[in-house]
Amino acid sequence: MKTLKTLFIALFVVAIAPVAQAQTADEIITAYFENTGGMDAWGELEGVKMIASANAQGMEIPVEIYQMKDGRQMVKINLQGQEITQFAFDGETMWTTNFMTGEAEKSDAETTANMKQTVGDFPNPFYNYADHGYSVELLGTETKEGTETYKIKLTQQPTMKDGKEEDNISYHYFDTENMVIIASESEANGQMMTNTMSDYQEIDGLYFPFDMGMAGQNITIKEIILNPEVSDTMFAFPEKK
Amino acid sequence: MKKLFLTILALALIPVGTQAQEITLKGKELFGDMKARHIGPALMSGRINDLELHPTNSRIMYAGTAGGGVWKSSDGGATYAPIFDDHVQSIGVVTLDPNNPDQVIWVGTGETWTRNSVSVGDGLYRSTDGGGTWKEIPGFEDSERIASVVINPDNSDIVYVGVLGALWSDSEDRGVYKTTDGGKTWNKILYVNPSTGAGDVLMDPKNPNTLYVSMWEFRRSGWGFNSGGENSAIYKSTDAGKTWNKIHNGFPEGKLGRIGLAVAPSDANRLYAVLETEDKTKNGLWVSKDAGSSWEHLNNDFGLVVRPFYFSRITVDPRNPDIILKGGLSGSISRDGGKTFKNLGNMHSDIHDIVFHINDSDIIYSGTDGGVYRSWNGGTTFEIVENLPLSQFYHISTDNAEPYNVYGGLQDNGSWWGPSSSPGGVEARDWNSVGAGDGFRVLKHPTKNIIYSEMQGAENVWRYDVDKNRTKTIQPLPKKGDAELRFNWNAPMAVSAHVPDRFYMGSQFVHKSDDMGDTWTIISPDLTTNDPNKQDQSKSGGLSVDNSGAENHTTIFTIAESPLDQNVLWVGTDDGNVQVTQDGGKNWNNVTPNLVGIPANTWVYHIEASVHGKGTAYAVFEGHTTGDMKPYALKTTDFGKTWKNIISDDIDAKAFVRNIQEDYENEDLLFLGTEFGLYVTVDGGENWSHFTNNMPPVAVHFIDMQKETNDIVMGTHGRGVIIIDDISPLREVNQNILSKDVHFFETEPVTMVEQGGFSGNFGAETQFVGNNKPTSARIIYYLKKRHTFGKMTMEIQDMEGNTLTKLSPGKSKGINVVTWGFNTTNPKMAAAKTLSFGGFTSPRVPEGKYKVVLTKGKDTYEHIIETKYDDTAITTAADRKNQEKMTQTMFDMVEDLAYVVYEIGEMQTKAQDVIDNNPKGEKVAQNLYDALEDLRTDLVVTTGDNYVASAEPELRERMGELYANIAGSYDRVTGAQMQNYELIKEEFEAEKKRFAEIKNKEGKKFMKFLEKNEMELEVESKEEFLSDK
Repeated sequence: MKTLKTLFIALFVVAIAPVAQAQTADEIITAYFENTGGMDAWGELEGVKMIASANAQGMEIPVEIYQMKDGRQMVKINLQGQEITQFAFDGETMWTTNFMTGEAEKSDAETTANMKQTVGDFPNPFYNYADHGYSVELLGTETKEGTETYKIKLTQQPTMKDGKEEDNISYHYFDTENMVIIASESEANGQMMTNTMSDYQEIDGLYFPFDMGMAGQNITIKEIILNPEVSDTMFAFPEKK
Repeated sequence: MKKLFLTILALALIPVGTQAQEITLKGKELFGDMKARHIGPALMSGRINDLELHPTNSRIMYAGTAGGGVWKSSDGGATYAPIFDDHVQSIGVVTLDPNNPDQVIWVGTGETWTRNSVSVGDGLYRSTDGGGTWKEIPGFEDSERIASVVINPDNSDIVYVGVLGALWSDSEDRGVYKTTDGGKTWNKILYVNPSTGAGDVLMDPKNPNTLYVSMWEFRRSGWGFNSGGENSAIYKSTDAGKTWNKIHNGFPEGKLGRIGLAVAPSDANRLYAVLETEDKTKNGLWVSKDAGSSWEHLNNDFGLVVRPFYFSRITVDPRNPDIILKGGLSGSISRDGGKTFKNLGNMHSDIHDIVFHINDSDIIYSGTDGGVYRSWNGGTTFEIVENLPLSQFYHISTDNAEPYNVYGGLQDNGSWWGPSSSPGGVEARDWNSVGAGDGFRVLKHPTKNIIYSEMQGAENVWRYDVDKNRTKTIQPLPKKGDAELRFNWNAPMAVSAHVPDRFYMGSQFVHKSDDMGDTWTIISPDLTTNDPNKQDQSKSGGLSVDNSGAENHTTIFTIAESPLDQNVLWVGTDDGNVQVTQDGGKNWNNVTPNLVGIPANTWVYHIEASVHGKGTAYAVFEGHTTGDMKPYALKTTDFGKTWKNIISDDIDAKAFVRNIQEDYENEDLLFLGTEFGLYVTVDGGENWSHFTNNMPPVAVHFIDMQKETNDIVMGTHGRGVIIIDDISPLREVNQNILSKDVHFFETEPVTMVEQGGFSGNFGAETQFVGNNKPTSARIIYYLKKRHTFGKMTMEIQDMEGNTLTKLSPGKSKGINVVTWGFNTTNPKMAAAKTLSFGGFTSPRVPEGKYKVVLTKGKDTYEHIIETKYDDTAITTAADRKNQEKMTQTMFDMVEDLAYVVYEIGEMQTKAQDVIDNNPKGEKVAQNLYDALEDLRTDLVVTTGDNYVASAEPELRERMGELYANIAGSYDRVTGAQMQNYELIKEEFEAEKKRFAEIKNKEGKKFMKFLEKNEMELEVESKEEFLSDK
C-alpha cells in the first residue's frame, strides 16, 4: 500500500507540476524526499548495500557498495574472482587497495579528513542539510538531459586540497516534473564533472536511482538491500600480518 | 484504488492526447546528448585580453580571452579550464572581489583591444561561487565592450565599471558607472559624448575615494579607423566619483588618443600614462610623482608608442614603483622608473596584458595574440601555456582523407592543417604549418596533395606541394592596363569542384586560373560599388597611422561556384553587392536590388551555392561594421531574382551571421554560424535552435560539412575547430518521429576500423588534447521524454536473439547517441592470486547484422545495425574466418580452464571443511586437498603481486595472453601463435587428464566419505558458472 501511495504522489506531481511556480529550494528538496519515500522513512534508514555492475565496453565488473548512516562506507569490486576493496572508511580511517601489490593502504590525511566531513551525508547531503551547516540555493531552471530541471546549489564545508582550503560547491538538477535528482555537477581538478541518475525504482517504499553515469562510466544497480547486515571488519583497515 | 488511480492518470494525459499540436523541440530538448567535440589546436593558442590573479592564493588565476571566454587556472598557471561557456566569449575584463576573491568574480564582456576582427560583448556578469554559475548584471546589455571593473576593498557593494562601448557606432552607454548596492542600481558618473568611452578605471591603492579614468575617443568603420580626439583625457576624482577634473598638467595641447594608465601599488603618488598625441616626440610614457598634479615625459621608444589602440597596458611591479611592464609588439620592461626599456624575451608577439606574480616579481604572466606565457626569470625567458585552445579561425575547410583533415587560417597565427582524429587524441604535434602572417582561407586541391593558403590582403598566396615539400607564390599580379587590385584583408579563394586545377581568387575582380595559380585571367568587371570614399586607407588610424591593410574595402569577399554547374558563379562583396554569372563570367548580373530586408552596403559575408538546384543559393549578410548586429540570411531558388528571409525570432537579435552551411541531402536542414555560436534549423528556417551541447556561444566564422562523415566542422574565432559528429539524424527529424516515444535513426552500415598504432605521449601532460571521433558504431535514437523512473536497458543481440553484450543507454529527452565498439563480452577467467590481463579482452563480432534491443519498462524497441569489415584490411577473408575461429577456440579454452579451477576450488573448500570438522575424514580430505593444490599451482598463479613481485606465469596467464593476442589482432593468426596454441592445448589436455585422475583416485575416496556421512559437494554446472559473470 505504501508503494502505491508513493507512486500516487509521484504521478500527482506529474499532473500538477507544470502549474506550480515559485518553488523554493526547500520546497523542492522536501518534495524530493517525499516523492521518493518520505522524510521519515529516509530518516529511519540505517544503511544500504547495493549490488551493481560497472559497465565498460564488453566488460561488466561486479561492484558492491555499502553506505551506512554513521558514515561507514565500502566499495568492493570483483575482478577475475578476486574481491578487491576499492575503498573503505570506518568513520576514522579511509583505505584503498594498492593495485600493484593487492595490499591495503591508508589514504592520505587530507583525503581522509575530507571523507570524515561527509559523515552524516546519509542518505544524501540534502537530508537535514541545515543541521550539518550546509546551505542550498535555487538558481532557477535549466535544461539538463533535454528536460527542464531546477538547479540547486549546495555548499558544504570547505575541503582541503594540497594543503589549501577549497570551497565545496556542487550543483544538483531536480526534474521539475517529479522533483527527483537527475544530474549533479561538481568540480574536480579544475574540471566540472557531471553525474547522471535515472531508472529510479522503489525498494520497500524508498526510491533509488538504479542507473548512474559518472564521467562516461555507468554503474547499473542490480539489487539494493536496506539496512544490510554488516560487520566492523568490513570497513576497518586490515592491519598487516 | 487502482482504478481511480488510472482514471486520474488518464485525465492528466487527456490534454496532450486531444490537441494535435505541432511539436517544436528547440535547443537541448532536441539535441539531447548529441555533443560537439573540440580539437583545438592549442599549440599557437589565441588572443588574450585580460589577466587576473587571485590576491592571496598564487595557485588561482584567470585569463579573459578575446574570443574564447574566461579560463581559470587552479595550479599556478600550468593548466586552465573554461568557466564561462554558457555566455558570450569575447571578454574585456575579469576582476575578483578583493573581499571575497575565492567566490566573487566579475566579468565585463567585449574585448577592448579594438582591432578590425574583434568580437562583441553583451554586458556584465558576476559569479558568487568561484565561476560555477553566472548571473548577468542588468543595465549593461548594450555596453558592447567593458574595459574596467573596480571594487572598493573596504566595501564590496561599491563597484565602478568602465564602459568603452561600441566600436563601430555612437553609443550613449559609454562612460563610468557606479553602484553602491552591489550592482542592483547603477549611476553613470562620468560621460563625455557618444564617441568617447572609458578605458582604464583605477582606484588609489590607499584611498578608495580617489579614482583615475582614461577616456578615449575612437571609431572604426569597415574601411578605416580613428583613434583620438579632443575628448580623450585623463580624469581624477577625489570624492568617489562625484566630481571629476582633467589632470593634463604638462601634456601637449591638442588631441589625445588611447591612454594607458597605471598607479604604482607601492606608491600611491606615482602614476604612469602612455599617451598618443599630435606631437610625435611627446608620445609614449609619462610619469607623475604627485598623484597626477603634474606630468613629465619619459620615453617614446617604439615599444612605448606602437599601435596604442592595440597595446596600452602598463603594469607596475607591486613591490617596486620603478619596475614597469608595458604591453606591445614584443612587450617592454623598465627597471629605472621608465627612463629606459628593453624588450621582453621571446614569446608570441602582441602583448595585451602582463602581470607580476603576487609574491615573486621574477614570475611574470603575459597575455598575447598567441595565448598566455609564463616567465620565471623576470621576463627574459617565456614558456607558453599549452592547454588554451583559443585559436581564432577566419576560415576552415576539410578534405576527404580518412580521418579527414581540417585546414584553416588564424588571426596572427598563420595557416594550419591537422587531422580530425589521431591516435591518443588530436595533439599539438598533429598540426602542420602551411602559411605565415595572418592566415585566412586554406583549401586542399580536390585531387592532388596540394594545399593553397594565403596571408593578409593576398600579399602572398601559396601553393604548397605536401609530398615534395615545395612552396610557390601564386597570387594574381597586375599586368599592363589593369587597375590597381584591391584585395580584402581576408581575400576570397575557391577551388572548382568541376575542374580540379581551377582556382579562383577575388580582388574587386574575379580572377580565374586553370593551372593552379600559375596564370590568371580576370573574368569579371569590378563587381563592387568601387566607392572612392572607402578606399583611402593611408590615413587610417587617427593620431597614429595604422595602415596594416586590414581596412581595405570595396572588395570581393566570397566566391561560390555551383556544385551543379561550373558556369554558375556567385560573388558577394564587402560593400553589399551580390553578383551572379551563369556563363562562366561572360555576363554578370548584379542582383543586389532584389535582396529583401538587407540595408544598403551590408557586407556579404558568405554565399553558399546549393546542391539542391542550380539557381539555389544562400547568402548571409552582416552589418556589424556599421553597428548593425542583426542576423541576416536569405535564400534564392531563381539565380537571385527573388529572395526569401530565413531568419526567425529564435536567433539572438545581435547574433550577426557570418556563415551558412546547407545539408547535402535535406534541403530544410541548415546550419548558421553567428557571432554567438551555432544555430540549426530542420525546417528550412521556420524555427532555429541554438546548439549549446559542449558548444559555447563563440563566434563561428566558417562551417564546412564533411561529406563522407556528415560531420559539421566549425572554424570558430576563439575556440579553434569544433566538430559535431554525424548530423544525419537531424535529416530525419519530423513530426512523425517527434511524436513517437522512441525512434531509432537509420545508420549506414558501419565499418569496424582496424587501424591502431601507438600514441606515447610523455611530455604532453599539460597539453590540450582534442577528442577523437569515436570509431565505434553509433546507435542513435530519440526519446520523447527523459527516462527517469523504472528500468531502461540496452543490449546487442545476434539475429537469433542471443545477448552479445550490454550497453549503457542515454536517457535524455531528445537525441541520444550510444556507442558500441563491436565487442561481445570478455571471457570468465580462472581465479588466482593475481590478474591475467589477457582476460580483459573481448572478442569482436564478425561483420553482419545485429539487433539493438532497448527495453524501457515493459516496452521493447528493436533496431538493426550492420557492421562491415574494413576495406583497408591486411588479411584475407579465409584468414579472418580462421582468426575468428581461433579466437572462439581460445575463448572457450580460457573459460574451460576457469571452470576447472572453479571445480578444484569447490572441492578444496569442501575438503577443508572436512579437515576442520570431521577428524574421521581428515586423511582422505587432506590427500585430495594436497593433490588438487599441486595441480592448481600449475594452472594458475598463486603467489606474488601484479607488479615486479609477480610470480612466473602459469597456464592461465600464458593461455590468456595468447587468447588476447589472437582476439585483438586484425591480421591472420601467425605460425608462432599456432605453435604456441598447440603447446598450450597439449598442456591443458594433460592437466585435465591429471584432474580426472585425481578425481578418480583421491576424489573417489573423498566422495565415498561424503556419501557415507550424508554430506554433499555442491558444484554449479558449467553453464551456471559461466552465466554468472
